[in-house]
Amino acid sequence: MKYDTIIIGGGLSGLVSGICCQKSGRKTAIISAGQSALHFWSGSFELLCRKGDREVIDRPLSLVDSLSGQHPYRKLGAERTAALLSRVAPLLAEAGINVAGSLERNHYRLTPLGFLKPAWLTLDDYFMLSDPEELKGKRYAIVNILSYLDFYPRFQAYGLGEHGARTVTADVNIPELDILRKSTTEMRATNISRFLTDAAVDRLAKAVNDASKGTDAVIMPAVLGMFSDGPVRRLRSQVERPVYFVATTPASVPGVRCQLALRDYFIRLGGTFMPGDTVVKGERERHRLRRVFTTNFGDMPLEADSFVISTGSFFGHGLVATLESIHEPALGLDLYAPEGREKWYDKDFYAAQPYMGYGVTTDAGFRPAIKGETIENLYATGALLAGFNALKEGSGAGITLATALHAADKITSAL
Amino acid sequence: MMTLQQQNISDNNFESCIKCTICTVYCPVTAVNPDYPGPKQAGPDGERYRLKKPVFYDEALKYCLNCKRCEVACPNNVKIGDIIQSARIKYAKGKPSLRDTMLANTDFMGNMATRMAPLVNFTLGLRPVKYLLDRTMKIDDRRTFPRYASQRFESWFGRHAAASQDSYPHTVSYFHGCYVNYNYPQLGKDLVKVLNALGVGVHLLDGEKCCGVAKIANRCVDEATRDAHTNMKAIREATARGDETVATSSTCCFTLRDEYPHVLRVDNHDVRDHIMLATRLIYRLIDEGKAKVAFRPDYRKRVAYHVPCHMEKLGWTIYSTSLLKMIPGLEFIPLDSHCCGIAGTYGFKKEYYDYSQAIGEPLFRQIRESGCDFVACDCETCKWQIEMSTGVPVENPVSVLAAALDIAKTRELNGVAAIPAVE
Amino acid sequence: MKNVNARKEYDVIVIGGGATGAGTARDCAMRGLSTILIERLDFTAGASGRNHGLLHSGARYAHTDPESAAECIRENIILKRVARHCVEETRGLFVTLPEDGLDYQNAFVDDCRRAGIDAELLEPAEAIRLEPAVNPDIIGAVKVPDGSIDPFRLVTANVLAAQLNGADVLTYHEVTGFVKDGTRICGVELKSRRNGERSTVYGKVVINACGIWGHHVAELAGVKIAMYPAKGSLLIFGHRVNHMVLNRCRKPGDADILVPGDTISVIGTTSTRIPFDEIDRMEVTTGEVDLLLREGVKLSPMLAWTRVLRAYAGVRPLVASDHDPSGRSISRGIVCLDHETRDGLSGFITITGGKLMTYRLMAQDATDMACRKLGVDRPCRTAEVPLPGSEPDARDEERKAHIIELSTEMKAAEGRHGSWTGKIAAGNDADDALVCECEQVSVAECNYAIEELHVNNLINLRRRTRLGMGTCQGELCACRGAGILERHHKCTKRALDDLASFMAERWHGMYPVCWGETLVEAQFTSWLYQGVCGLEKEPPRHEEEMNS
Repeated sequence: MKYDTIIIGGGLSGLVSGICCQKSGRKTAIISAGQSALHFWSGSFELLCRKGDREVIDRPLSLVDSLSGQHPYRKLGAERTAALLSRVAPLLAEAGINVAGSLERNHYRLTPLGFLKPAWLTLDDYFMLSDPEELKGKRYAIVNILSYLDFYPRFQAYGLGEHGARTVTADVNIPELDILRKSTTEMRATNISRFLTDAAVDRLAKAVNDASKGTDAVIMPAVLGMFSDGPVRRLRSQVERPVYFVATTPASVPGVRCQLALRDYFIRLGGTFMPGDTVVKGERERHRLRRVFTTNFGDMPLEADSFVISTGSFFGHGLVATLESIHEPALGLDLYAPEGREKWYDKDFYAAQPYMGYGVTTDAGFRPAIKGETIENLYATGALLAGFNALKEGSGAGITLATALHAADKITSAL
Repeated sequence: MMTLQQQNISDNNFESCIKCTICTVYCPVTAVNPDYPGPKQAGPDGERYRLKKPVFYDEALKYCLNCKRCEVACPNNVKIGDIIQSARIKYAKGKPSLRDTMLANTDFMGNMATRMAPLVNFTLGLRPVKYLLDRTMKIDDRRTFPRYASQRFESWFGRHAAASQDSYPHTVSYFHGCYVNYNYPQLGKDLVKVLNALGVGVHLLDGEKCCGVAKIANRCVDEATRDAHTNMKAIREATARGDETVATSSTCCFTLRDEYPHVLRVDNHDVRDHIMLATRLIYRLIDEGKAKVAFRPDYRKRVAYHVPCHMEKLGWTIYSTSLLKMIPGLEFIPLDSHCCGIAGTYGFKKEYYDYSQAIGEPLFRQIRESGCDFVACDCETCKWQIEMSTGVPVENPVSVLAAALDIAKTRELNGVAAIPAVE
Repeated sequence: MKNVNARKEYDVIVIGGGATGAGTARDCAMRGLSTILIERLDFTAGASGRNHGLLHSGARYAHTDPESAAECIRENIILKRVARHCVEETRGLFVTLPEDGLDYQNAFVDDCRRAGIDAELLEPAEAIRLEPAVNPDIIGAVKVPDGSIDPFRLVTANVLAAQLNGADVLTYHEVTGFVKDGTRICGVELKSRRNGERSTVYGKVVINACGIWGHHVAELAGVKIAMYPAKGSLLIFGHRVNHMVLNRCRKPGDADILVPGDTISVIGTTSTRIPFDEIDRMEVTTGEVDLLLREGVKLSPMLAWTRVLRAYAGVRPLVASDHDPSGRSISRGIVCLDHETRDGLSGFITITGGKLMTYRLMAQDATDMACRKLGVDRPCRTAEVPLPGSEPDARDEERKAHIIELSTEMKAAEGRHGSWTGKIAAGNDADDALVCECEQVSVAECNYAIEELHVNNLINLRRRTRLGMGTCQGELCACRGAGILERHHKCTKRALDDLASFMAERWHGMYPVCWGETLVEAQFTSWLYQGVCGLEKEPPRHEEEMNS
């Protein structure tokens, strides 16, 4: 089976590369081994939120030059990074995902524990602030679904209260959810969202109105609109006050929605999405990757002119750690990851964990190597890359998106 | 230390679960049935407790459809569906009921029914009979039964096709399954027609038994295992004579390849790669230039393709859809990959019928709205469900090819025109 | 839970909330003494909660220490009766590997029988049939009445029993000094670990039951006990690999016992002397992990591909024999010191040495001594009266017959709380929801633990219920648990700080085994808690310990 471009990894990075390749007319396939880290998305993308111990708000890209030479942003340069990232919001909108935010200034998002954290882009119906000062004197109703355990309104209330907001908290119920509550485990955000359609939304809206009397706005866990924004619009049209959502712990409703929207857009563009398959080896011809073998396709490898690998970090099994060492399992790419597992971690859970910075090493054009030989038609993107601690910097999504777009540009301009 | 902790394999696969809950998002049952604990709880979480004490087995595991969509979704490659099915086999109390045994023994029932097919078809269509089956056996009376054929595929093949097959330059062995043999021999005939036209002769396996998927689902494991050994012996013989083994049913194919080792513990590693879906073989012949195709210029159809769950798990959708897309007069409409709800014998059971239909409803809606002439799909039970629930006919991609190919011209292109074609 | 009366003079003050202290408080209270139990952290925070959880048959000591062996088997039989909800009668095997040779086994069976231990020689094939997880290369096997015992449940039950008999209980209070009247101890000075408040509690007799920490407590009282901390490291595997306790049939050594405990299996231990300044922050080293794995695989090859959930270490108090000032000769068995006769300090008793298995006997010795001092003559009944949760229950048979119909979380709770499970207010949909899905802990069980079982924070809740002890080590449930705790104590800041501490504590046991899926889990957990949720640092630590 022959494609113009094969993308290994079907998460945010792979999908964005795939959409761009397919849009430029290249026959593109995405091989996806299980669902991606987008499933625990907070509803916000981060570009660069912290430098050392300091939170970054204004002009995050101005810090690019101070990053280490191996950092993906540094490799791209501030200007190129800005150019690439400015394409993200329009691209998401094409897929049906509407986000707000700017490259010039980070805003604040509200976390499931009620903290305010910097962010670059946030879903337009999710809670965001340009300045915590705005909270002073504001009155919020924080409304949860009765006995939904992955969202605890008093955490939000405390967090907002620290910044001068006044809050009321309430649990609401609608009879449509009683059936779901009978399960001891399945009262999850994504399952709740299946029940919140049509008349159930109307009833929920009424309950929310009753619970939020006398407040300026409503904050709710993101428990509706997994497959479309219809239920969200329906709710917002009936609630008398603005409603803002906050993502919950997994699986995240906006995460699933974003994943499915991007995947569907890729398929609508004519791309081939292969779910549940794993690349087990690659075959090279000189300095080029010619074809890849997968678990499902067995002895019928998939061929392409160019490849992108975006299999993620340890979570996506882009990196695998054994007792002794860390390797990249699909193609055996060269890595930055020292041997000796004492080096991999810091004993302080909250310190920068060395393992977070491990990944595939590349040349300046994001082309990885195997045993020192650069693969000319392969690009590595996203969390698989070495050279940054996405968690400590708050840079994961920005790097993922920038490198994914960059790889697609390289591939499509090489035509 | 090199051998230590390299991977969590085989029986410990459930430990790869990192509790991300992604599987629960894609479980079709969780969405409609709160009594089902969900794949995470029923699978890896429950397994840990069952290993502690079997008393932790939860009978609600019976609600699992075995669609394996949880496995496709799992980022950690946990064999969630296998864990659940294995637990049902190991721990479920009591013997399968008469109804379950009957539904499970598709081959025995088919064998009996084909002998007096017109009568059986007539009888099973009667309201009083359905009422009786519903009340006595808990087979839902709203369910339409697949019709039985009066001539089995095997009989037809022996009489009309077998003699000429070795004249073709290549041969394969065909695992036809119960459905083709007893209910719908036309699909088997279509396969013979298409493969012959591509220059490939067709053998039957020696003493083929039911793949066992229905027996596994209904916990008739001893019979399933016995049949599996028979099938593996036949497939090994076929492989030894150089035949690939092909199936037209995605579920039979999946069972032979994956359920045998994972659920029945019947080893097949030596021949697993030689068992494949017919569309994979056909695609490969065309893709590698080993066979040529000519399509009828007058073929014009709007076709919606449905991805059966086990097709999704096999990961071979691309072969069937690529073949369909090759047909010049065919307008291809992809349907969302969504379980149709029947899951083999599951949807026949009175206690599951409503869940079954609720699971399939989004798919039915999409099909009704698609305006297609028919649905193409590689699974026979999906066919029953979709036809019954939407009124839209369903065809296997192999049958679509048989109708769309200019057979005479294709035979010529592949240099087999001289061999007498099977009628 | 303010069950302390500062003005009152207690008959007995027991210091130390481990098995020995809780058992002693129970025994004292049952003999009618007015008693208070004081613990500087949480129950089971020391060595009691950091061992194999092995219900020894005594066979381990049959050859080297027949007296201990006989003690063990007696206590084994008693605990199976009085603490049955904490015990699982798994039985055990002593297996001989080819590298060990059969010499040890030959004498072993006779040694066991002499100590009163029912040891049965098995053909290796029979042993493999009984325990399929055992190394198939074994050349010999002996079946013994080993079992597993859950120290968390055991200590909780002893505390409950003490309270039922009128004892007061004070956790998170550290003894900072003693109140003396000449050469008589008449009380203890306390500092709250939660808010730093100081207080004094008066009593006629003070019992030091602090394990290795008893060394320091004795110093505070002005007496010297030569104790040496010996660290023992263990690994927890992700599920129950073996169903019988597996022991190497050889001279006791490193990593030679694999115990099935609740949902997991534990291999251990190593043994290293460590300095006192490490006892509150023990680390499991890479070398220890490698050794435990290497040796563990010899007992059960399946361990080679079983996920390691975490590593932890406990510290044994080795007590130098009073007759050997050099400290080289270590006392075997129980050490019960009357400091009046030993050091001229009256009203002070130290109970130490021993092992989890003999905690009840140790408590009996200490209580006997306290009774003598107080002039009380009442018999010990701790060997006859069942612990709370282990009482015979009229509904026992009925419950057994219907356990299959119970929900999974109630079956799990039944295992944890025994006949007291009925106190869990289950049965409404909202409260039946699971907080911890790995360990099947419901909202109702959390509520019960928080209200009845001295729970101040998530770590306490974990010990009472197993919340966060499962495969994901708190990833899924910690947030939920923090919310539920907040609902009870109504302090959001405290709940968030507690959550941050809890995640740090979970990591402390994970990093020594951080490869494979455990590393994937750790990364996932970090993304979730630090990334999505924005939990960024650990609060200053006042309350909780951080031992592995």
